[in-house]
Amino acid sequence: MKNYIGLSVLAGLLVLASGTAGAFECKVKAATMAKPDGFPSRALTMIVPYGPAGGSGQVAAAMAEAVTGHTDVAINRDHKPGGSGTVGMTAYMAAPADGYNVLEHIDDASSAHALDSTRPNPAADLIPLVVSQVTFSQVYIRSNETRYTDWPSFVEWVKAQGGKATIANVSKEGSMERVTMKFITDATGMEIQQISFDKGAPRYGALLGGQVDALFEQPGDVRKFLDAGNFKPILTIFNERPGVFADVPTHKEMGMDFEPLLRFRGFYVHKDAPADRVKWLQWAFQRGYCQDSYQAFNESKFMNVIDSYRDTAGAIDLINASVVQYREVYKSMGMDVK
Amino acid sequence: MWENFAAGSLALFSDPFTIAIFVFGVMGGMLFGAIPGVSMLTLAAILLPFTASLTPAQGVMLFAVIYCTGTYGGAITAILFNIPGAPENAPTAFDGYPMTRQGKSGKAVGAAVLCSAIGGVASALVMMAATEPLANWAIRNIGPPEIFALVFFGLAVASSVGGRSIWKGWMSVLLGLIIATIGQDPVGGINRYNFGFTDLAAGIAFVPAILGFFAVSEIFVQAEKKATGKFDAPKVGMSFPSFLEIWAHRIAVVRSILVGFFCGILPGIGATLAAFMGYGEAVRWSRDKEAYGKGKLEGVISSETANNAATGAAMIPLLALGLPGGALTAMMVAVFQMHDLEPGPLVFYNSPELIWIVFAAMFYANLSILFIGLVETKTILYLLKIPFQFLAPMILLLATIGSYIGRGLVLDVIVMFGAGIVGFLLRRSGYSIPGIVLGIILGKIGEQNFAQGMQMVHYDLFTYFSRPICLILIVAGSLTLLAGIYKAVGSSRSTASQ
Repeated sequence: MKNYIGLSVLAGLLVLASGTAGAFECKVKAATMAKPDGFPSRALTMIVPYGPAGGSGQVAAAMAEAVTGHTDVAINRDHKPGGSGTVGMTAYMAAPADGYNVLEHIDDASSAHALDSTRPNPAADLIPLVVSQVTFSQVYIRSNETRYTDWPSFVEWVKAQGGKATIANVSKEGSMERVTMKFITDATGMEIQQISFDKGAPRYGALLGGQVDALFEQPGDVRKFLDAGNFKPILTIFNERPGVFADVPTHKEMGMDFEPLLRFRGFYVHKDAPADRVKWLQWAFQRGYCQDSYQAFNESKFMNVIDSYRDTAGAIDLINASVVQYREVYKSMGMDVK
Repeated sequence: MWENFAAGSLALFSDPFTIAIFVFGVMGGMLFGAIPGVSMLTLAAILLPFTASLTPAQGVMLFAVIYCTGTYGGAITAILFNIPGAPENAPTAFDGYPMTRQGKSGKAVGAAVLCSAIGGVASALVMMAATEPLANWAIRNIGPPEIFALVFFGLAVASSVGGRSIWKGWMSVLLGLIIATIGQDPVGGINRYNFGFTDLAAGIAFVPAILGFFAVSEIFVQAEKKATGKFDAPKVGMSFPSFLEIWAHRIAVVRSILVGFFCGILPGIGATLAAFMGYGEAVRWSRDKEAYGKGKLEGVISSETANNAATGAAMIPLLALGLPGGALTAMMVAVFQMHDLEPGPLVFYNSPELIWIVFAAMFYANLSILFIGLVETKTILYLLKIPFQFLAPMILLLATIGSYIGRGLVLDVIVMFGAGIVGFLLRRSGYSIPGIVLGIILGKIGEQNFAQGMQMVHYDLFTYFSRPICLILIVAGSLTLLAGIYKAVGSSRSTASQ
């Protein structure tokens, strides 16, 4: 735990601006902005490194609709799934840096750079236009579970299983999920088998059907199961209790002293894009975040539970803090950090 | 049930705009399913934003109809040109295209039309009758170990299909399994065999591999025949299968319905595995295994019945539990969400009228396959009269576009032509193209579930045998393997003694 506690200062930036969200107020006041030298005179292309049906595909569609709605500039989405986002990132870095190509990406880009610094740094090789979704993770059990009903009884039960208990997540090497689970298991002294499901449906079905004992996930992704009363959160991995989960204890309340890693999704442009075009894109995407359609989308995904908005400067802080935190954790895990 | 079905039918056909959407879905699904490269997913992605202006029932119904007819659409090009419109139509090409070369295209297409309709309608009826209990049974009893065992069971007969000998069949399957390991490993995300190329980390996509091994290699084969004066243009066979011919395969139809339904009901599995398993079971239970891959009507019947039987089944976990069975059903979740709805148990209580319009629409969409399919088939068969020198470039162009469009990667075009060349050479040597494709597709699904299953059983392989469904499937698969090896060894000895 000492290593992780030592990261608190560095990671504090992550949580600094991520308190529970208040009433929404658009940070970008200008409703219009002149196009610099007529840019954009044609449709933008948004490279999305994941498929259209997942969380990234949906946020890309919602933001594209919002930006087009208030600027009348069409956005074509080009999905390039595979390689945990690296295929899309590589394709984007090879695309012309003329401002017509933008990228959607998630925090995987930051953790990938933390593990291997030859990978693009989203805060330096790219310019964040806006981070439009920031969320935390929770541990869920079935609502009708009788073997354990809350976090303390779950930990006690898991310990009694001698390593046979299971939790479903996306435990790719170095992922936010795997790192956070290491924090949790180190802090509690429990041993639990992580089952990696890369698709949501089998992951949620595994908990519903009793194939696994618990699920590690973000609340927006399982909202329908929460609304239907199928799943019950027993632990929030965040520094304070968000209002809608006021009865769910946080990891710190349960004696786990680590800084939470957040899941975030945002939009980027190449650092070599012309500055005046970048400014227009920043305005268009940050203002897109304020559109009613986008706000409704974020609300449907529980993305208004904590402050989901970061402008360029805020996004750079978020990314830099994440990279530092991941890198230190990777070293402590004995991983080969390049 | 019947009252609800009647109410759903009435709601569907009492509004002209809803009827128009239904017809659009039927025709659009068939068209996009039939054109290689684009698919029902392409159409669904295009239509997704427009569903916001429809009612929830119209939006979900449109996607459900596209799912039914799109799954059938790809069978036509698979049979006529060896170009499966989608991975779930690939097994249809195994025997459908050889039938075309033998002048039996009408029989193959007719059987595909009829059996797609039968599989889809049967699946829709079961879906209407027992959505909730089936969904709950599936998620409680079928996990990654069972899905791996199912894939193993399916692969056990793969060596029989299309190879000159069972050993060459096995070599072909193993090659497919090796190709399936390219890219990130399914649980740890570690790159394998990508040789430093980022794009290869995403693995070999199904569509370019299928287009290369089937369509491109076939063009090379026919071009060689053309160059050597041995080219024999496919004859246009207009005779449809008779009722007695279909009736003779009634057991295969029922078996494929069961197999397709079982695969479809598993979250995240869907029609592709259903088609391959349906085909595999046809081979397993046949007395004439060697005839498969060479133009056997039962191959077409089994594959097309099974993939359409999976469509209704895939709606079950989606509607009952909110768990999509594949990419298109995942898009349906987005349609629900656009209207502030979530698929899952509450939909049955909150929006029963929506559920029954969707159920009714899927039933009628499958019936439409029968009528529209039979009407259009006679016209489509005339495409075979296009001279090879015009048809081949068109197919290559379509296949190239189809390979590129999925992920926008030049790698996929390279894979397609590479698979075409490798496929051409392997076919000359008697290796099995269906075996390779079976290995690629079942290998990816199988490896992922094996790895997840091993995590679940704490890396104790014997725990697999304590799960009854696993035990049955693994033992049955092993027996099939041993029987195949015994037969092959006996055949080799007999050849040697002569």
